[in-house]
Amino acid sequence: MSWKLLQYLVLFAGLMLISAGQAAPASPDPPSNDDCLTCHGKPDASSKLGDGEALSLYVDRQSFAHSVHGGKLACTNCHTNITAVPHAARQFKDRRAMSLAYYESCKECHFAEYTRLLDGVHYAALAKGKEKAPTCVDCHGSHAMGPPARPRKQISATCAQCHVAVGAAYARSAHSDALAKGNADVPVCTDCHRAHDNANPLTTASHLRISELCAHCHTNEKLMAKYGISTQVLTTYLADFHGMTASLHRSEGLKSAMLTATCTDCHGVHDITWVKGPASGVIKANLLIRCQHCHKGAGPNFSSAWMGHYEPSLRHAPLVYLVKLFYMVFIPFVVGGLVIQILLHLWRVVVNI
Amino acid sequence: MNEYIQRFSVRQRIEHFSVMLLFLALGLTGFAQKFVDSPWAIWTINTIGGIDRVRWLHRAAGGMFTVFAMVHISIALFMVLTRRSRPSMIASRKDFQDAITQLRYYLRISDKPARFDRFDYRQKFEYWGMVLGGMLMIATGFMLLYPVIVTRLLPGEFIPVARVAHSNEGLLAFLIVIIWHIFNAHLSPEVFPFDPSIFTGKVSREYMEKEHPLEYARIMREDEEKREAETDEAP
Repeated sequence: MSWKLLQYLVLFAGLMLISAGQAAPASPDPPSNDDCLTCHGKPDASSKLGDGEALSLYVDRQSFAHSVHGGKLACTNCHTNITAVPHAARQFKDRRAMSLAYYESCKECHFAEYTRLLDGVHYAALAKGKEKAPTCVDCHGSHAMGPPARPRKQISATCAQCHVAVGAAYARSAHSDALAKGNADVPVCTDCHRAHDNANPLTTASHLRISELCAHCHTNEKLMAKYGISTQVLTTYLADFHGMTASLHRSEGLKSAMLTATCTDCHGVHDITWVKGPASGVIKANLLIRCQHCHKGAGPNFSSAWMGHYEPSLRHAPLVYLVKLFYMVFIPFVVGGLVIQILLHLWRVVVNI
Repeated sequence: MNEYIQRFSVRQRIEHFSVMLLFLALGLTGFAQKFVDSPWAIWTINTIGGIDRVRWLHRAAGGMFTVFAMVHISIALFMVLTRRSRPSMIASRKDFQDAITQLRYYLRISDKPARFDRFDYRQKFEYWGMVLGGMLMIATGFMLLYPVIVTRLLPGEFIPVARVAHSNEGLLAFLIVIIWHIFNAHLSPEVFPFDPSIFTGKVSREYMEKEHPLEYARIMREDEEKREAETDEAP
């Protein structure tokens, strides 16, 4: 055996030893769900929190089995700090502190949702130390969680747990009426606000995006045909002064400007009502009040300056239609006449030569 | 004898120059709004510094145009009413006759072109188009700028009417200027490449004799009378 080969062998053996040393020592299997439920399956299992509140430690075997995670996850997949039973008692100052201690468990599997959450207003509030800001379990529940959108109206109910006034306003809307009847076409909170990365809706940037949000459904021919709603709403808005201003302000990336009217300014933010319904008279009266919000001193004629999403025709805004028609004839007539005069003039000049 | 004849006063030349600049400013800032869907309009708006600034400039230029129009009309009325100036821009029966004579000439029915006075029918058409169109632009522009005041007296529908009229009348004015005015002042064989009279105020006798023979004859006659009067007084 050469000296060199021996060197290699020694080195190889050394490496083997080092890697064996790094490997985890043969550990016992993590506790199974049955192990956990030995204690936590007892309905009277409870503990005392730092603030004196009794915390039930009971987990219902059946409801967990029927949850979205039933049969897929073990208790220790989320409660990662429990490696053996029995385990030492854990101390939390109150119920909220316990929720907050666990909310990062979900990202082990749901990483995409977690990173989106980091861009949302709720996380921003949490990061500022507002402990009431919702984390995963506040919306989705914990051991008994079902799919978040089944039924779909569950989403609006979830948000309304905290956003009580907004929830009540939404409940008065045409969208909510249809939702309650099981209609899946109408928007729930998350369709406009998004689920995890919900942006602050009160910023200028959000205001300038509203028409695009509404147009997402209201320019869908197939969808709107079901309800006899015009899909011209966006184009008529964008062609008018307000829509044009808003879309230009948006493309300029304006941070703060005098906001121009957008969909929600006339139709309501959450309590959007059916414009053709019995309340249409009220809407027309409200329109002037909306106008006066920016146009101080506007009189009763003012709001009819807005053509109500109609293209001018003999029926709607006939005067506008006729003036438009007049120029469609008048401009070619005048310009054509001038061109003929120029051509005649040039022709005669050529003839004279 | 002087080779040139004074055709435009200093005031008229300043008026033309100012209105030319205002017209360009109003056209640029106006069409950027009318054709806002086109890339050049967006480029223009961004280059100027945003829609709010474009609108401010458009309104400022419109306000100045209004002042110029008021001053012009007041002075013209004063001059004509006090007989300090001949009402040379007023359209008359002769203009319609001239148009027909000229048409016959163009079509080679006759070999005699119309003989014009100080302003021919084409110049009068453009002038009155400018004055009446300008008044319409001022009125509709005011309606769009002050809709709250306007709708106290008029129905709300007049605001979109004003918008359609302002936008189309502006387009018409623009087309007339780029087709008609640019032809007459630059491309027409008589003046090509450039008729500088509205900037210098002077035109050649040759040009006057050909394009405005009646006025030229009158100027000659008046000069003659003046000279005779001077020679009468002299001894």
